[in-house]
Amino acid sequence: MTEPSGPTGATGATGGTGATDAPAMDAGSEPARRSGPHQALLAFYALFTAAAGARALVQLTTQYDVAPVAYWLSLAAAVTYALGWWAIRQASLGRTGFASVMLWVELAGVLTVGTLSLVHRQWFPDASVWSDYGIGYGCVPAVLPVLGLLWLRRRRAGGHAGSGS
Amino acid sequence: MPGVSTQITYIVVGYAVLVAVLAGTLAGRRAERAPWLDQMAWLLEVLLVVRALAGLGPLLGPDRPPSTSTYVGYLLASVAVLPIAMKSVEGDRAVWSSVVIAVAAVAVAVIGVRLEMTA
Repeated sequence: MTEPSGPTGATGATGGTGATDAPAMDAGSEPARRSGPHQALLAFYALFTAAAGARALVQLTTQYDVAPVAYWLSLAAAVTYALGWWAIRQASLGRTGFASVMLWVELAGVLTVGTLSLVHRQWFPDASVWSDYGIGYGCVPAVLPVLGLLWLRRRRAGGHAGSGS
Repeated sequence: MPGVSTQITYIVVGYAVLVAVLAGTLAGRRAERAPWLDQMAWLLEVLLVVRALAGLGPLLGPDRPPSTSTYVGYLLASVAVLPIAMKSVEGDRAVWSSVVIAVAAVAVAVIGVRLEMTA
């Protein structure tokens, strides 16, 4: 529950949640969409897009000099979550190609930034969203792409019809 | 003795956790989303609005929160998350719609805690 960064850390985190969650709302009302685990994934991705995006923007605009690399990485994480949201939405409609790339990119990002933040602490005077494998967010950032990949694998194994259950 | 808004936060966070647990339990039983869960979620939203209104106080007084933009962001997010989640599962009472409510309830609980920390 606690953020490793300063007061602004979590901040924005959720600050823009409302606005960025909006796409989930559209997806929900899409008639072609089936109910399934992807709904929970989409909710998480929408939340993290907003959380990481708002946090990055607040930190980049108010305390840029403290840890620019970490803050840009947070913004990159936010973009990754936005693309991940889109990828999962597409996959839920049967187009799994983008998701099979995007979720691996996200996992690689979390693992790379998480490892770098532990090995080269001096590179991170302040935390980024993926610092210490996202421990500031209960390590959800590390778990999310894994869950996404498992869902994708199940979905592919079950064919398009399996997406709903 | 904690302030009024802090006390409301305790209630909101506790109630949000309860909603999350019940939504998770409902989903775990593979049951459809029951109407009472919607009612509980909307009651949570009412509490969040009350908390947000109480949270406007510090913004108007001389002792503004040290990180005002963060604080305002949390205030807005706290009232925005649940309606968006409810809208996203509108007309869908399948099992996973309860999980969406659970995720949203956990999110507002976390936001409530963070709000208190930034106040």
